[in-house]
Amino acid sequence: MKTIFKHFAYYIVAAILCSTTLTSCKEDSIGEVDDIPGIGGPTWVEGPVDRWIHDSLVVPYNISAQYKWNQFEFGNITKNLVPPDEAQVIPLLSTIRKAWTNPYVEEAGKVFYNKYSPKSFILSGSNEYNSEGSITLGTAEGGRKVILYGVNLFKIKGMAGYEPGRDSSFVKDWFLHTIHHEFGHILHQTVLYPVEYKNISKSYYQGGNWINWSDSDARRDGFITAYSSSAFDEDFVEMIAMMLTEGKVGFDKLVNSIPEGTSSHGVTKAQAQAALRQKEAIIVAYYKNTWKIDFYSLQKRVRTSMNKLF
Amino acid sequence: MKRSLLYLLFLTTVFFSCENKDDTVFEESADVRLNAALASYEKQLVEAPYGWNAVIYPGGGGSYGFYFKFDDKNRVTMFSDFSDASAAKSKESSYRLAALQTPALIFDTYSYLHVLADPDEEVNDGVRGEGLKSDFEFSIYGDSLTADRMAFVGRKNQSRLVLTKATQAQATAYTNGDLAKALLFNNIAKYIPYFKRVTLGANTYEITVNQNARTVKLIWLNGSTPKTFTTSYYLTPAGVTFVSPLVNGSQTITGFGNITWNANTTQLGFSGGGATGVVVSAIKPISVDLAASKRWWQTPIESGGDWRSATGFHVNGVDDAFKVADLKSDESIFAFYVYQPGVSARNDLFAPIFYDGKSIFLDYGHAPAPPTFTADGRAIFSPAGTYGTIPAAGAAAESAKLLYDPSGFYLIQTSDETYDMVSAKDAKSWITWE
Repeated sequence: MKTIFKHFAYYIVAAILCSTTLTSCKEDSIGEVDDIPGIGGPTWVEGPVDRWIHDSLVVPYNISAQYKWNQFEFGNITKNLVPPDEAQVIPLLSTIRKAWTNPYVEEAGKVFYNKYSPKSFILSGSNEYNSEGSITLGTAEGGRKVILYGVNLFKIKGMAGYEPGRDSSFVKDWFLHTIHHEFGHILHQTVLYPVEYKNISKSYYQGGNWINWSDSDARRDGFITAYSSSAFDEDFVEMIAMMLTEGKVGFDKLVNSIPEGTSSHGVTKAQAQAALRQKEAIIVAYYKNTWKIDFYSLQKRVRTSMNKLF
Repeated sequence: MKRSLLYLLFLTTVFFSCENKDDTVFEESADVRLNAALASYEKQLVEAPYGWNAVIYPGGGGSYGFYFKFDDKNRVTMFSDFSDASAAKSKESSYRLAALQTPALIFDTYSYLHVLADPDEEVNDGVRGEGLKSDFEFSIYGDSLTADRMAFVGRKNQSRLVLTKATQAQATAYTNGDLAKALLFNNIAKYIPYFKRVTLGANTYEITVNQNARTVKLIWLNGSTPKTFTTSYYLTPAGVTFVSPLVNGSQTITGFGNITWNANTTQLGFSGGGATGVVVSAIKPISVDLAASKRWWQTPIESGGDWRSATGFHVNGVDDAFKVADLKSDESIFAFYVYQPGVSARNDLFAPIFYDGKSIFLDYGHAPAPPTFTADGRAIFSPAGTYGTIPAAGAAAESAKLLYDPSGFYLIQTSDETYDMVSAKDAKSWITWE
């Protein structure tokens, strides 16, 4: 019994060895490589929008913008979305270029900007509607890819149906806020901000519960927006986005608008304002020391370019 | 014996591992064939000299007429019957063919086609986040294609898109704006009374059009027996096209052509079934469903439910004429108007229901006596009392005043679970119960 088994094992080993040898001895060529459809991404006959993107974003900044529908760029394929209207693409992208790219390039240089800017913009014509009733404005993946939703709703001065009251805050709070927010993440993920930032409002962060707070409630706790109160990093980049898109005057106004009395967490007006000012100071110093950027000058450039859009 | 068997086994292993020839069923590889298929589909789309008539049947229901002209530079120009603007003026956007799980046709920038799929409910009166559940990415199945017809299936919502080759005359009709003339048919909604009839040749039809669901309902009398026919429709430069034709004896109606609209006299005219007719209003149904009013009243009693209306009465062409939707009870908002039969042996309930953010409640309302059901099929309501304190003037008081109109109401069953309750006095007011 034992011997049979032994022999058996022997043969098996031999067989495996032999077959291995035989297969490996024949060099398998990769064969004829066909033209695989769609490899390297979708292609089409280029039009004026494609040329604008090439000349204005790809060549100077190595940034691509995909406006033609490609379902697989969107994380959640169960959502109903529609692609952007071609007429919306250049106005949107040139707005982003004016209010985000140009200020950073002018302040910090093209090398800095090209090194850290996200490289791929994906555009959706409609908003993404979530089951609990909220709307997704934008998402970012790994500092490389940014998805912007609601492109067909975007309107700036000079476009048909532009209403300053409604549309200027929409563009500011949705598109520009999102870009500055996401770029802030890239910066702190590259070089972390000083740890004392985390200590300023340490006891008041509330994680996922932020959605139950309004921005004005959050400000009484020393956060610039409700979303700021969700986590340290979000707080840091929300501060950057709000300071840049609101400008110095607008930001001061928000800080000064905190009412008297104490918040439900027991934060006084003076404490909340001091917290926001401390955060501001750390960010200004972080930009100066880490990136050699004069934050207030950057802020001024962003606001100046925005004022021309609305 | 045993040993030689083992050797044999051993040998086969060796042979199998040496066998290294690809013996494919097809002469060419999958990629070559896929590229050829994509190229041939694109060629077929582009080479139709006068473009394509198209109908899309969104996953959410309905049917919509389109016209497409594809060029070889990934551009497509289209018209759509969705709105006056999209019927009158063409829009250019882009398309491409792609190899997804199946070969696919993608309309890859916003066009009239995307209006139906837009998840923004304000664009198409659809559902927030879903729109009309339509599509703009379509799977191509080779066996659904012939030289003159291409049928595709939507990849997300399984809408059907059917393209048929257009003639030169059809293409010219679109560019001349004839589709916009066909949209004059939508003016049928401007007739004030609920009931509308049209006589085509020897037959008189009661016509009901649901523009949201895109259906036409025709009711006629065969002797004294009422017959009902319902079809989806879409619009083309030739007029209204029925998805399924009506065959009524010797008369076959495939749609309505030569659509005319006189705004001064509020008259819609068209041809169909070999004759021409004008839509006229009527104050009662062509055939009264005599049992409907009793059935309407009895259903909730048996099921334990009630009848609800989100908008109250429509009067003289105005939806929610009494503005019940603006009613409030302190801070609570209006939820719906209710008619609950058989609240007690003496009375029913007709009242606004409010919502306080957590639950719905009754604040005040009218208590009609159980209605009288007349031999000619009407329900007549009369007051038996009230609940709570009803504001002297306002939506609730006015709604009740109309309800207690002595002429009463016809109940028109519009689906298994919906009725329209139409004033028998002049058919100019009605309320939809769900």
